[in-house]
Amino acid sequence: MNDFYTDLMRYNELIAPVKTDESRFEVIKDVSKIMIEMHSYFPAKKFFFKKHQTIISMEKGSINVPATNPEKKQRVIVGMKRCDLNSIKRQDMMFMKETLDPYYKEERERTILIGYHCKGPADDYCFCSSMELGDFYDLMLYDKDDIYMVEIGSEKGRNFVERYRKYFWDTELFLRPEDRRIETRLTLDRKDISKLYFNPDWKKGVDICFSCAACVTLCPSCYCFDLYEECDSTLHKCERKRNWASCQLPCFTKVAGGHVFRESREDRFKHRIYHQLQYFKERHGINLCTGCGRCIRGCPTRINFVKILNEMKEQQ
Amino acid sequence: MPRTKTIIPEETEAAENPYLPKSAKVVFFKRETKDNFLIRVDYKAKHDPGQFVQLLIPGIGEAPISIASYSEEFMDLNIREVGNVTNHLAKLKKGDTVYIRGPYGKGYPMEKLHGKNLIIIGGGSGVAPLKGILSYVDKNKNNFGEVSVYFGFRSPEDMLFKEETKLWKNKYQVNISVDKNPLKDRIHCDVCFITNLVEKAKLNPENKVAFICGPPIMMKLTIDILKAKGFTEDQIYVSTERLMHCAMGICGHCMIHGKYTCKDGPVFRYDEISMDKND
Repeated sequence: MNDFYTDLMRYNELIAPVKTDESRFEVIKDVSKIMIEMHSYFPAKKFFFKKHQTIISMEKGSINVPATNPEKKQRVIVGMKRCDLNSIKRQDMMFMKETLDPYYKEERERTILIGYHCKGPADDYCFCSSMELGDFYDLMLYDKDDIYMVEIGSEKGRNFVERYRKYFWDTELFLRPEDRRIETRLTLDRKDISKLYFNPDWKKGVDICFSCAACVTLCPSCYCFDLYEECDSTLHKCERKRNWASCQLPCFTKVAGGHVFRESREDRFKHRIYHQLQYFKERHGINLCTGCGRCIRGCPTRINFVKILNEMKEQQ
Repeated sequence: MPRTKTIIPEETEAAENPYLPKSAKVVFFKRETKDNFLIRVDYKAKHDPGQFVQLLIPGIGEAPISIASYSEEFMDLNIREVGNVTNHLAKLKKGDTVYIRGPYGKGYPMEKLHGKNLIIIGGGSGVAPLKGILSYVDKNKNNFGEVSVYFGFRSPEDMLFKEETKLWKNKYQVNISVDKNPLKDRIHCDVCFITNLVEKAKLNPENKVAFICGPPIMMKLTIDILKAKGFTEDQIYVSTERLMHCAMGICGHCMIHGKYTCKDGPVFRYDEISMDKND
């Protein structure tokens, strides 16, 4: 595998999960650091939907857009899990279907997604088996201990295989249905939450929520953002930027004049869950949540919204 | 290698980069009240009444402003000075350049409502988008029945569109109220909340639609009053206000229970957003 990675690095930017202070996706400089099977703590969305993105820059009446650089290297991301890949699909829906965001599109088009199928859940917080995840990848690796079975998911993936032909060979083996399945210990049993908005059991989560927005920052599918201006000290140059935003902070819905529409922590908490499990589905037919469990894992008080929902009793 | 390439805004098509604004000139600046002013910009775009544009002041920021006119030649924007951007907009003069993108959102579905009697209820700076409806009705008089207007303001000094109101009074049934009259001005209007006026009025819901825009509490009370008078939720159109950043239905700031104010709104038929869990 390391030869393959080294070969990839020669012409591409290679990104894979590595263990630093926390596990995260990073641009690889040393192939021995790659831990392809690791479920990373931080998602890979920062490579497409960037934390900070300059949208336009303005100088004395002229408006410029940051140059799209055609020399940018091709990029290969290895080791994204099924949940990560599916969240990219959701981001594509927002940034390439709903509106065509040129900055996102550019990053997306120069990237080849090579997934890694988890052998089992990373911990007790994964619940992807209940989220009906689809196949969305250029290539998918299934770990068979001494070999990887590779499934081609797109034209881009097929071309990639042709280019690196010497690392791949044809096989007569087939993937069994159980190869594609991941049995997670945590499952979301409550699929329809539309009637639960006023349920008193939300309190279990809301009472211990700090509104710290870790859940949203770690979510691989969350796509909300701020647009704001940044000036230099001469006030002649300014940039308009796009930043990640969080619906868990009160300022998210603050309007001019100071009114905050979702002022209570309960409203904000519920808004996140409802956006993940209902609002997005109403518009696009699939859940925004992909069941990666990062929002639970990264929460300082480990609010397990899946358990809270499962235990909720329907009220008449 | 320079990191940026220069382009002239006018040459860029919106489809290429949806974040790019176009420049427009201020052709007219008029101060309406102490904290309210009207600018007319030569921004040519087809729009419906009730839609809004994103107005950008480089270095300060962007603000969603509703269009208070109905014309393909220019746009009237009525702006209240409440925030960063609007405070800077107040310093504009005739001939200054502003940057605009839009129009965005769904406006009032005027064409669907031909033949109806209209009730237009506005409070404070919420009358701005409603002025767009009146401009539309002016141009399509024959398509609508009776038009009654209810506008409420805080005090006589805060009254907007005083000149236009005189003209409207000749054509429509116009009711104006002020919450209080501290200076005891001589005024030809009631001193009460606009909701009281609506409550007193004899309104028969038959073949009528109501448009409401104003502060949240005023909208809520008015909706309750209209419902008590027999109006159904699909006869009421509300114009909602939220913080907007992208105006294209992605950034999430303006979401109300799964609906994007900027894309599905800002005008909603009330039954689309009411439900039992309304905020």
